[in-house]
Amino acid sequence: MWELQLGEIVFGGVGSGLYGMLAFALIAVFVAGLMIGRTPEYLGKKIQAFEIKMAAIVILVPPLLVLVGTAIAVMTAAGQAGVANPGAHGFSEILYAFSSAAANNGSAFAGLSADTPFYNTALGLVILFGRYWLMVPVLAIAGSLAAKKKIPVGAGTLPTHTPLFVVLLIGTVAIVGALAFFPVLALGPIAEYLAMIPGH
Amino acid sequence: MSMQVTSSRSPRGSLVTGDIFRQALIDACRKLLPQYQWRNPVMFVVYLGSILTTTLWLQALGGHGEASARFILAITLWLWFTVLFANFAEAIAEGRSKAQAAALRSVKRDVVAKKLERPKYGPPAIPVSSAQLRKGDFFMVEARDMIPADGEVVEGVASVNESAITGESAPVIREAGGDFSSVTGGTQVLSDWLVVRVTSDPGHAFLDRMIAMVEGARRQKTPNEIALLILLVGFTLIFLKTTATLLPFSIYSVEVAKAGSPITITVLVALLVCLITTTIGGLLSAIGLAGIGRMLRANVIATSGRAVEAAGDVDTLLLDKTGTITLGNRQATGFLPKRGVTERELADAAQLASLADETPEGRSIVVLAKQKFGLRERNVNELGATFVHFSAKTRMSGVDLDGRQIRKGAADAIRTWVDAKGGGYAADVGTLVSDVARRGSTPLVVASDSEILGVIELKDIVKGGIKERFAELRRMGIKTVMITGDNKLTAAAIAAEAGVDDFLAEATPEAKLMLIREHQTQGRLVAMTGDGTNDAPALAQADVAVAMNTGTQAAKEAGNMVDLDSNPTKLIEIVEIGKQLLITRGALTTFSISNVSKYFAIIPAAFATTYPELNALNIMHLATPESAIFSAVIFNALIIIALIPLALKGVRYRAVGAARLLRDNLLIYGMGGVIAPFIGIKLIDMILVHLGLA
Repeated sequence: MWELQLGEIVFGGVGSGLYGMLAFALIAVFVAGLMIGRTPEYLGKKIQAFEIKMAAIVILVPPLLVLVGTAIAVMTAAGQAGVANPGAHGFSEILYAFSSAAANNGSAFAGLSADTPFYNTALGLVILFGRYWLMVPVLAIAGSLAAKKKIPVGAGTLPTHTPLFVVLLIGTVAIVGALAFFPVLALGPIAEYLAMIPGH
Repeated sequence: MSMQVTSSRSPRGSLVTGDIFRQALIDACRKLLPQYQWRNPVMFVVYLGSILTTTLWLQALGGHGEASARFILAITLWLWFTVLFANFAEAIAEGRSKAQAAALRSVKRDVVAKKLERPKYGPPAIPVSSAQLRKGDFFMVEARDMIPADGEVVEGVASVNESAITGESAPVIREAGGDFSSVTGGTQVLSDWLVVRVTSDPGHAFLDRMIAMVEGARRQKTPNEIALLILLVGFTLIFLKTTATLLPFSIYSVEVAKAGSPITITVLVALLVCLITTTIGGLLSAIGLAGIGRMLRANVIATSGRAVEAAGDVDTLLLDKTGTITLGNRQATGFLPKRGVTERELADAAQLASLADETPEGRSIVVLAKQKFGLRERNVNELGATFVHFSAKTRMSGVDLDGRQIRKGAADAIRTWVDAKGGGYAADVGTLVSDVARRGSTPLVVASDSEILGVIELKDIVKGGIKERFAELRRMGIKTVMITGDNKLTAAAIAAEAGVDDFLAEATPEAKLMLIREHQTQGRLVAMTGDGTNDAPALAQADVAVAMNTGTQAAKEAGNMVDLDSNPTKLIEIVEIGKQLLITRGALTTFSISNVSKYFAIIPAAFATTYPELNALNIMHLATPESAIFSAVIFNALIIIALIPLALKGVRYRAVGAARLLRDNLLIYGMGGVIAPFIGIKLIDMILVHLGLA
């Protein structure tokens, strides 16, 4: 249960597509580029304030939708009405519905009756913003980078195709994407998971 | 007075003096005003959080608090400390620059200038205040006069003490025409006199610009700094909503679990402050200031932080051959006699011809003759010899001794001389001359009366260790190009010996400019040094342009850095400082982001009352929920103080190539950022328990 949820959320944070991963790659490259003493570049293009701003929006919006959506659901009577299971599991169900809407396939657990006007409207909005509007900043990055001069690769250039970079990228995704959700996960799936382990 | 920049140049020198420390403490408090805080969004969030918890504490004192007043107060105090520590870091970096600016300012004083109506030495001179001198005015300065304004010498030669600007005590010669014609206001004429045309209005002089640069308190943020700040703001927003939404989640969880109590605002603020990247946020401006400060300590004044940053990005270095790659002077390295003449005979004649030659080249011939054949220096006067000095017309020098005429000089000059005396120019001399030239050396032909004796090989001596420096640069990914006025043959030989990647022979200012443009169109960043007026166009075109302080006003204005030591090799150091600045930023960002321990401290502490199972996340086994939150907040504040020295000194840069550097720094600052806080938080928790505070 925990693995399932966490996995879902990690990719939820990423935006479940190449463009989300690109935003993370930009940020990973930015930090890594600094660490080797060059102003950062990715695929031969300089990364500057504008690209970082757009990348930040891309990684900012999905957790915003999920967290705020879930927060509204648990605070309102309409949201609480749909929850069938008590305790941490009920909370997980709401969280899952919103994560899934923002990033994945828009499914929901059986325990949560999502076919109510409240959930249909809320999840619909999340899908709209989380999936389609995010393309706007991603395309803005693409446009900005395309207009820039390409920098030749030299010995001082950061290689972005090595296992080391993959590790770095995973680290960035894990820390920024997943840890933003860690506190809220603690209240739902993690609490559930720990409760299920014998001895607790 | 002398600017204390030279004495503090050693990297191990103390970073701060007591004065700077005390001033920084005061400034740290002064910076608590909102208009200062607003400039750093990350710390501004902490600032607002501190105000919020202060209010909560006052409320708790009134008896309606969400938690005990003592708990809220302790958290509040540490949040304020976090803000103060960040202010302190910035204040210390500023303090060091301010001390240097103050030293410069004391050079600047109002002096009486001897204004002239016409650019001609001599009375009548009108005494006016230096503040009244305008661009285009003429003034004269005589021995012991202070030069009142920046200018260009139009008449005269004088020795000038520029130690106030350069920290270098040896006087320099300033003269009309050529590359040594600029004088700086605030320096002193030691001997003779000069007539100078003013080149800058009051307030725009070199010294004024230097002071403005050094102070840098209100300096602009550099592009890279802005990008990083945006990223940090992005992180802050992510964590802000993470913590903000925790409140409804917590309330809901308490309702459904029917246990515990919802998270308090105080704990939420503490969590937020720990989650956002306060370490890098608090040190960001200190790192930038320290970069400019490091340039200063290397005796380089950068006109902007942007230039320092660009230095880290440079991938092509244009280096002048003479003075940078080779020692300024050529030295004799061999005697090559003509067939039928012994090497010793040649050395003897060459030594006689050079005894009175005071040029470094002439001295080196005497030295070589002594080394090779033990030929002692003979007393010039005892020999009763007449010396013939070098002139641009004859292009040779030598000696007339007992009716014998010995000459040394350029091959064609000697040939004409020998021909005139009825002698011949043997074919093997021609071969010797072209052999020497092919090796990148300069041939000097020696003749005695009508007979040519042989050739002296004068070699450009490549500076010791420079080849290793270039190899290092290559590993950094930087290409070196040697610029020289020599012919292609000579240039190629020296380029090969010095190990540069490329060379530009028979260089003219236009060719230099073309070369820079060509590299730039390929997307490269070019750095160069220059001192002459003819360097100015190239300096203006280069991305990082270091003008020598001894150079002309035009060169200094075209460049974006001025090297007070006028040492062209420093370009390499400048690149390293630029890289160091970026690496320090990156390393501290990584350290800051990879700190995940706080989750394991605060989350279980905050929610364990609702779900006791969450205590399993308390992997550090912190004593109590309160001590866990304290430890995280205290660590978060102290780490800023602990990293100030690193921010000021900069992370060491090693030329090992991008991939290896990244791996090493990831290991140190990435893994360090994960592990160190776990240890730190646990330690603080243990201390709190020991003190009975938990």
